[in-house]
Amino acid sequence: MAMLIPYGQRVTPDDPTVSSRGLMRPRPGGRTLRLTIAALLTVWFALPLVPLLLWFFADRWSAPAVLPTEWGFDGVTSALANGAVPAFGQSLALALVVAAIATPLGAMAARALTRGAVPFPRLVSGILLAPLALPAFVAVMGLTIVLLRARVPGVVGVVILLVAAALPYTVYTMRVAYAAHDLAYEDEARTLGASRWNVLWRVHLPLVAPGLARAAFLAFLVGWSDYVITVLVGGGTIVTLPLLVASFAAGVGNDAVVAVLSVSAIVPPLVLLLALGRFGRRYPTASYLHGPTASQSPKGSP
Amino acid sequence: MSLALVSPALLVAGFVVIGGIGMSLVQSLGLLPLVGVPSLSLDAYLANGEELLIGTGLSLAIATASTVLSCIIGLTAAVVITQGRRTGRIVAAVSALTIPIPHLIGAAAIGLLISDAGIIPRMLGIPGTEWPDLVGGPWWVAVVLEYTWKESAFVALVVAAVLATRVARYDETAALLGAGRARRLRHVVIPLARPAVIVSAIIIFVYTFGSYEVAWLLGRPYPEPLPVLAFRLFDSITLTSRPEAAAVAVVTTAISLAVVAIGMACLRRTPLWK
Repeated sequence: MAMLIPYGQRVTPDDPTVSSRGLMRPRPGGRTLRLTIAALLTVWFALPLVPLLLWFFADRWSAPAVLPTEWGFDGVTSALANGAVPAFGQSLALALVVAAIATPLGAMAARALTRGAVPFPRLVSGILLAPLALPAFVAVMGLTIVLLRARVPGVVGVVILLVAAALPYTVYTMRVAYAAHDLAYEDEARTLGASRWNVLWRVHLPLVAPGLARAAFLAFLVGWSDYVITVLVGGGTIVTLPLLVASFAAGVGNDAVVAVLSVSAIVPPLVLLLALGRFGRRYPTASYLHGPTASQSPKGSP
Repeated sequence: MSLALVSPALLVAGFVVIGGIGMSLVQSLGLLPLVGVPSLSLDAYLANGEELLIGTGLSLAIATASTVLSCIIGLTAAVVITQGRRTGRIVAAVSALTIPIPHLIGAAAIGLLISDAGIIPRMLGIPGTEWPDLVGGPWWVAVVLEYTWKESAFVALVVAAVLATRVARYDETAALLGAGRARRLRHVVIPLARPAVIVSAIIIFVYTFGSYEVAWLLGRPYPEPLPVLAFRLFDSITLTSRPEAAAVAVVTTAISLAVVAIGMACLRRTPLWK
């Protein structure tokens, strides 16, 4: 559902833009109001992460105390003893497999759809977007019987369902990328004698690389965050971090372990998000994607 | 060529969507029993009729509350973000950080924050016995709060992206023509943000309506929202429970699709829809 988010793009205006808007310069009263609202919003978004960080370092934290009464890493030791490392590995593997399958499938479908040669384009894009409107448990409850009778192993079933759940994101992201992609570059390379393979690897893929990175990140998130599909279709064959968090959070007195597992489930996507931001800004095509002008287009320059 | 490119994705999505809905429908109508002779009947829908009705109402209420709150908070955050300056950038950064956190982790974090042994009652010095039942209580406060926390960040970034690209110039023009802040917000920013807000609202509503893990972790055992009811029936050992779970799935799907249709109709009525 995060597919519409402009990962790797700036959403705040530049400083020069802001300071040059004389008419729109905030008044003193408005400034206080704006600062108060901004502070409240920051607290709203950041507050739920505070208990995770505090519990991460708490060995003991009995009820009325405002801060942990004993600091330490018992939570980490306990999480490691309860299979945090294999769960982390399985989460990572599952998310990477989903991203590795859903990204090329989404890119291929998006390219075909943007070039407008697909029969019934509205129906096709409707079906590709439909997993977004279908609750995950519906797909699971309908299809388990099919997967069981076809003797599809649990892990394969999980991957198929998660790839379908990730496709709306990869297709949409890649359609945006291909909409800004100029086919003339590829034609030009072909005219200059490059083989199809060379055009794909050295012209086409580098040009859509930021879009591919965004799509792969979103597909990774789908695999990384899932609970329902992994627990019902996987049937215990794979135990990912969300499954482990769920089993500990449903009990009582596991707060430190829950915090450690939660933090380890938050860090990898955050690292990827930051890397994506840097990649999106540094990549040479980024400026081209944001605003091609007539003089920069390949038709105007040899 | 184009068909070859699109067909792998289409096969996977089509199998899951059409297969998932179709097989749920077939099972719920008693045409695919685990044992015995298939026979067309509505027994699976009637067996839990009352729970199905209560669950529908509860799920609709949770999804509506979460969607409305997310849109209000998210729109406010988007306006703050696009005002620029340091405050906007900080709000943009913290809201972007919450996006990749899995909902289940968010639920665990909200539990540690506002349960009766959570951080907020401790900070306020209220003993756990006097703290209201926000987690597992009658008003589903923790569940709605978790959805609102995650989804308001989603609305904020989607709407901020739209405001940053399209709205800035209209806003400047309106300022040049003498419109004050309140009038620009009322007549320029909010109308231009409306399509993005509607799209986000559809996505949030459908997600919170059909999502299991948050309601299961932070909710109470009875009454059950539709996904929790379906899950319990699916895991139950009686022979008739699978069709009954499928019946809940069919009802959930039908309502989700109806909401998408209503949302799309609203979207078409916005002046910006092209």
